[in-house]
Parts: sequence; structure tokens; C-alpha cells
Amino acid sequence: MRIMRGLSLRHLNKTETAGPGAVIPIARAVLVDMEPKVINQTLSKAAQSGRWKYGQHSSFCQKQGSGNNWAYGYSVHGPRHEESIRNLIQKEVEKCDSLSGFFIIMSMAGGTGSGLGAFVTQNLQDQYSNSLKMNQIIWPYGTGEVIVQNYNSILTLSHLYRSSDALLVHENDAVHKICAKLMNIKQISFSDINQVLAHQLGSVFQPTYSAEGSFHYRRNPLGDLMENLVPHPEFKMLGVRNIPQMSENSLAYSTFTWAGLLKHLRQMLISNAKMEEGIDWQIRPPLPGLPSLSKMSLNKELHFNTSIANLLILRGKDVHSADLEGFKDPALYTSWLEPVNAFNVWRTQRAFSKYEKSAALVSNSQFLVKPLDMIVGKAWNMFASKAYVHQYTKFGIEEEDFLDSFALLEQVVASYCTL
Amino acid sequence: MYVTLDLTVPALALLGLAVNLRVTLKEPPGYFPKELCSCSFNSGRRAEGGRLVRGGEALIGGVRTRRVSGEAAIEPQRADPAELSAPIGPRRTGSVSAPDGADGTQTPGRRSLAGVGGASRPRGDWARDKAAAAAARDPSEAGAGCMGRRRRRVDPADAAGALPAAITALSRALPGGPSAETFRRAKFDRPEAAPALWRLLFHVLSPRPADDAAALPTPEAQARLVKSALRSQGYPRRALVQLPEDGSQGSRELLLALSWLLARGPLLERLLAQIRVRLGDEMPVCECEVLASPGPPAPRVEADGCVDIRHLQWLMGKLRFGWRNLITSQQEHCALLGKVHSYTRGCHSDRSLGHLSVTEAELLRDPEGGRQLLRRLESENARLEAALEWRRRELVFWQWMDTVLDACPPEASQPTFLPRIPERGAGELELVARELQALQEELQAVVETRRAAWEARVGGWGPGWKATQRASEEAVRQELTALQRAWERGGGLAQPHGPHRLVRSEAGTLGGPGLRATEVIKALRSREACLEAALRQLQGQCRQELARLVGALPGFIWILPPGC
Repeated sequence: MRIMRGLSLRHLNKTETAGPGAVIPIARAVLVDMEPKVINQTLSKAAQSGRWKYGQHSSFCQKQGSGNNWAYGYSVHGPRHEESIRNLIQKEVEKCDSLSGFFIIMSMAGGTGSGLGAFVTQNLQDQYSNSLKMNQIIWPYGTGEVIVQNYNSILTLSHLYRSSDALLVHENDAVHKICAKLMNIKQISFSDINQVLAHQLGSVFQPTYSAEGSFHYRRNPLGDLMENLVPHPEFKMLGVRNIPQMSENSLAYSTFTWAGLLKHLRQMLISNAKMEEGIDWQIRPPLPGLPSLSKMSLNKELHFNTSIANLLILRGKDVHSADLEGFKDPALYTSWLEPVNAFNVWRTQRAFSKYEKSAALVSNSQFLVKPLDMIVGKAWNMFASKAYVHQYTKFGIEEEDFLDSFALLEQVVASYCTL
Repeated sequence: MYVTLDLTVPALALLGLAVNLRVTLKEPPGYFPKELCSCSFNSGRRAEGGRLVRGGEALIGGVRTRRVSGEAAIEPQRADPAELSAPIGPRRTGSVSAPDGADGTQTPGRRSLAGVGGASRPRGDWARDKAAAAAARDPSEAGAGCMGRRRRRVDPADAAGALPAAITALSRALPGGPSAETFRRAKFDRPEAAPALWRLLFHVLSPRPADDAAALPTPEAQARLVKSALRSQGYPRRALVQLPEDGSQGSRELLLALSWLLARGPLLERLLAQIRVRLGDEMPVCECEVLASPGPPAPRVEADGCVDIRHLQWLMGKLRFGWRNLITSQQEHCALLGKVHSYTRGCHSDRSLGHLSVTEAELLRDPEGGRQLLRRLESENARLEAALEWRRRELVFWQWMDTVLDACPPEASQPTFLPRIPERGAGELELVARELQALQEELQAVVETRRAAWEARVGGWGPGWKATQRASEEAVRQELTALQRAWERGGGLAQPHGPHRLVRSEAGTLGGPGLRATEVIKALRSREACLEAALRQLQGQCRQELARLVGALPGFIWILPPGC
């Protein structure tokens, strides 16, 4: 689990080349894991690049893991190591000139890591109650191997929903497909998946201009993003889509226009597609003029993905000439929020990675309703027969906690369904 | 016939004038009326004559004025002349605690006798000059402090130019002041003078100084704001309210309103404090600014039909996020201020400050910024000098205003303007008053019975009990007063007002006068505790109300949010 701090402009803006005497920027991050293996790998991989690295003392790990148990991570590891982790975080916070917030990267269905992550997030909520917190969580594979992954998922989600401000969700299945279809990778490894994730995150959080027509960069992207997308306490689930995404070989032979990119991106949003291949073009927004209740049932039949709010981020050449009318259509949004409030756009002329033009869309929409419903359903079926529950009650997670989690998530599903 | 234009002693005290005049004019030139002794302005002042008004040295730059044979001698405070030679250096914002915003910046007062904006001689010389001239003119005067009455002789040659000079000084001290000619036209109620006076009143009365012309509202909106502001301050003349809002008429009324405002309170001082150039890093200590100027009333937005509660929750959430982002940037601001202060330790020429503020550091870095600051200081200086000039000459203006008042047609109906109470409301008020009365009587009765019962119980006990009773009563009274003090603003310590300059000092050094940050933090924490207690109480009330509503609707299961 990795906790990245908000941006300290001093450290992360250094652009000196990595000569022998140059200062290499150090990431404002704290890495936490119960086993040393992954952390060591991460540290060495970063340092190898020569361009940046993690701080030497900004990681926390124990000697051995502890059997993939969410309750153990939450109730035992958490309190035991609370102080050390908190000190590490405090040290990083003190180095910041401007603390925009916390960005916590963790998996949802894991055992110790997820439980510990939920505990640490709660801790951050108590300690830094005014700071913003975004959790980036990895949605497990639909056909996962761990039998209790659904229990872990609902416990993680419900705890995070209470203590975090926004949940940025990446589905393993979707990223896997991107690697296979778009990047044409045969043997997909974790580093390939991480590459795609990093690309998506970078396309969202890299600097953009702060206002229309200005050339000053936005000082607080995390804060602005949250203010635009997740002010409502019931709707915290965010997803990222970006276009184009392809292997470097194909990149050389492609040209892009904003019109084409945005048309595909819009349809990806509406049809809940995760990548630009295999989009269902049949799905259309409903016609205006229908009363809202029938609109809802019509949307359900058509699998139309209604959005609450969208943030579009454009990077590259001629970025000011892009036509955004397609995203300002009120049919895309709920009845209680006008497009002028629901839709925001950030721009910069600087190209991202190697793409001459690229666009990313962060959206608060119904995209997770079905997967969430499925997980809650499966977990409930298991819980009804009390299967494996003793593993949790052994370490302090009682049945009431399960019931609370189910209630909260059912509420989330209901809220998103009745948009 | 005379409207209550009030020149009370406190107003004068704030102006820092020792008023002790008897006016005798020989030849009335153009603007001057023949008989002055019966004017309301002057008679008011004469009544005050002879009283030494020492207080209120918080005039611009803390100078006291004294009238000596028609001219004011400005005595400097104990300022070293050498210090005041450069315009930037001696702008002493070093006095950390300020009774009001306007002091602490002493104008060098570079003036000569010849008129406005004269040569820049060092102050000490000029003061000595003035004192010598004053002494030459009126040898009966000795030393500071004027007691008793003095004869004031006006030079006729001076008198002719005195009124335009006074009005010019006034308009230069005010923001966007019109020319003396406009004032003269206003006396005769000429319509061409009206727009300028509307604008002037708007600038004077609007809560925040409007710097850029682009943000100015329409003349109609300006007129409406002027009327409502004057009404809320209690302006008594009805004729102003009846003026049309297109700004085409009523210059005489506007002129009267302006003089009313000027006479009433420290208008000039307030306006000058608003444009004060701040050199230090300032932090507000009290909430007075926020409370005193609530700003123009927000336009009402009618919600047509029902509003989706999710939309409201969305807006509340945006507010909360905005607030959190604000806290973050405030913390960043403090961190960076701390850095600037600690890095520039030992750089300031003023030993008691010890380090530079952000403005001063910028001055060193950027000469263009320094030039702009100099220009702002010079314009502020010009306005302060105009204000001083005005103070010297204002008597002539008040005399002239009397004539303006005379020129007005008499007020037909009642002079005071009462708010209109609707008929229905009057009945309800009656009801409420009666209910309050009944409640009070009931309370009284209950208190009486309880007291009698207590007396009966206690009366039988011995005299020793009386002593303990008295002691406990005393203790209770003390605790109540302590509680009351703790609940009042600022707690026990006398809370100063206005912005304070932040000065970072080494731990252990006592530092100069002013507030310690620890004390302020303590006072703020106690205030925070009081507010939190009040919040909890209000939340409890809301919870009770919710519980009552819950009970009223059968067939519903309410799940209250956590923490309730």
C-alpha cells in the first residue's frame, strides 16, 4: 500500500538531469506492507530509472505477512503499527509547503493490505480531518482465486466510504483487457498493468492550466477535482477512461483529431466501455422531454450510463479548438444537476507521454453499479450461511460490522440506481 | 425648522480639535452670510468653547491641532525629524497594537505655510517656524494646551479664498470628490451637480472601497444603496428619500446629507483607514471588520417549484470542499510567511521588528514594485495632507453649510421618518407583548413562592448559617460575573481591534508592545470552545425536533446518521 502525499512544489518540480552531482527528486510518499519483498522491488525499480526515487526511510514493513486476513490487518496490525506509520506520515507532511491532501493506493479485496489500508485511512481522517483524501482502489478480477475476496471487498468499501472523500476505482479486468487488446501484450505481467494504471493517473494529475485562457498552472488539482466531482457524500465512486491508449509501435502510424477522440470518449462514457475498442454504438442518450421516472427505467433497459458529474482533461496540440458540445448534453446527466455545474474541463498545451493529443475523463457515474451489486450479492449469499465468518470474528470484526457494511453499500447502490 | 445636524462633543473629540472659538467676521465676501452668530452650527460650537478636548489623538498621524489666530498650528509628536525625511522608511507600522486602524502611520506632514503641498522641509524646522509665527501673532499663548477662550481674528484677505480652499481640501481628502464649483452649484440645487454628489455619497457609503471602475453598479443602483445606507444610519430628512433615482436632481439634499455624515462621525478617518498602505504582514485579531460591513444585500433568488434535495447536498458539499481548500492555502500562507520572516532575520533597520515583511522583501527584489509602492504612498500622503488642510479650514465650511440649510424650503410634514408598520403586524405585536407580560408575571410569582419557601426553611437555622449563606451568595455572584466575562467577546483580556502586524521574535526575548501570539491563541481557543458548546446545543435541539417529527409519522423507520 502506498500513500502519496500532496505535492510539494519544491521537490517534485526539479528538472535537473541526473548527472553525478545532481539532486534527484524524492517522491513524497510512504510505502507500507507487511512483507519486505514488494517494497524492496519498488524502491529499487524507482531508483534504477535515475530520474526519481523514494526516500530511504519512508517505508514501513514487517518481517513476515500474516495470512491474508482482513480482520487481522484491520484490528491487529493497524493498532499495533499505528504509531510508526503515523510518524512516517507526519515527517512527510512537515516537509510540505502546501499539503493538498492524501492519495492512498491500495487493493480492495486483499487481506492484510486492505484491512491495514482501511485502518490507516480512518486514522488519517481523525488526524488530518481538514485534509482531502482520495483512495485509489483496485477492483479485483471477477474470477478471483481468494474465496473471501467478496467479504474483504465489502468491508474495505464500507470503511473507506465513511472515512475517505473520493474512491477512484480501477478494475483489474478492464486494465487486463487494455493490455491485451490495445497494447498487444501477450504475457501480461503486473508491471504491464501498473504501467497502464500509471498512465491513467498521470493523464489526470499532471499539471493543467488553472483557468480558461491563463498560462498559470493549477495549484491544487486534487482539491479542484474533488470539488467538481464528489461534493455529495453519497456519491463517491469515480472512474477514469482515457483515449488514446496504444503500444508505442502503433503510435507512430496514427494521427488523431479532437473530434474523433472526443466522440469515442463520449460513447465510452455512455456505454460504459473501458477502452476504445469494441464500443457499443447502439446505446444512445434518451430523448429529452420524458418524465424522470420513465427515463430511469428506459436507461436501465438500454444500459445507458448516467453521469452525475464529469471532468474532461485535454492535453496536446490545438487543445483550445476542441469542440465539447457533446459532453454538455443534459441527457448525459441527472435531472438535479445542470451540465454547466456537472461538466468541467481542464486543458494544457503540453503533450502527455508520447501522444500528440490525449484526453482523459474522470467521471462520477453509474459505471460501478453492476459490479458492486454483484459483489454485494455474492458476499450476502456467503454471509447468509455464515461461511468463513469466524475468521473475522476471531479478530474483532463482528457480525454487526458486516451488517453495517451491507446496509451502507445497498444504500450506495440504491442511490446510484435512482439517478 | 432646523434639522438635527448634531455636533456633539464626542464627535469633536474624535476630530481632535480643541474648539474654543468665537467667530467675528468683518466683511462677508461672496460665500459668507452676513449674520453668523445665530447659526446653529456656530452656537453649538460656542457652547463647547473653553473645554479642552485632549482626547482623540488618534487623528491622522496623531497630531493635535490648535487654532491660533485663524490658522492651525500642527504640533508634531515626539518624532525625530531625521527619521521622517524619507517617505518609505519612517512609515512606522511598528506600533503593533492600534486603537483603530488609522494611527501608526504618521504623515511626515511636509507642509509649508504657503498652502497645500508645499516644500519638503524637515518637520522640526517647520514646527519651529509655525510655533514662532504663532507666538508672534498671539503672544498671550504659551505652550501646549489651550485653556479658556481665545480671540480669533480672520484676515479678510484670507477669508475670500478660505471657503473654496476648504472645499477643495475636503474633496481631495474624499474618494472621487467633485470640485468646489460643484459644491457651490449644489447649494443652489442645480441639477448638474447631482450626479457627482450621488457618486461621491456612493463611494463614501459603500462598505468596501470600489477600486476599479468596471465593478461600479448603475447609477440607479448607486442611488438606491445611498438611500438605504443613509436610512439605516438614521438620516432624518425625508426629502432625500423622495429624490428620483436616476441621479438628476437633489444636489442640495445630497450636500446636506454629506455634511451630516461628516459632522456625525469619524468619516474621513474611516475612509483614510481604508486606503492605508500596509507595509507589514497583517493579521486580523478581531471580527469587527467582518461584522461591521455586511455588504450589499444579496439578490433574492426565488426557487420555482420544488428543489431536489440532492442538489442542495451537492452545493453544501462544494462549500465544504471550498472551505477545506481555503484552510489548506491559509496554512501554506502561514508556512511561507514563517520562512520569509526567519530567512530575513536581522535585515530590518528597525531593531524592534528585526525581520522583513513580505512587502518589504518584495521591495528589495523588484524595483518596479518599489516604485509602485512609492506612488501609492505618495497618493496616500496627498490625501492625508488634504485631510489636515480640511481640519484647519473646516469652520468656514460649516458656516457656509448653515446658509445652505437656510436656503432649503422648510419641511412640510413631520421631520422624522418612521418605518411603516403594517396593520396586521401591529395586532400581532400586541399579542406578543401581552404574552411576554404574562410570562414575566408568572415567572415573578414562581420566584416569589420559591424564595418564600427557601426563607421558611432557612429562617429557623442559626446565625452561623446566615454568614455561610452570605459567603455562598458572594461566591456565586463572583462566578456569575466571571462566566459572563468569559462569554463576552474577547474573554478577560482587553481585546484590541483591527489588524496587527506579524512580528517573529526569538523565544525568550520579551519583544515590544503588542499582543503575544500565545495570548491571542488562548483567547481564540476559549471562544472556539464557547462556539462549539453553542453548536452542540443547537444540534441537540435539532435532534429533538427530528425525534418529534419521527414520532409523528407512523409506519416509517428512521435511521439517523452516525454520531446522533
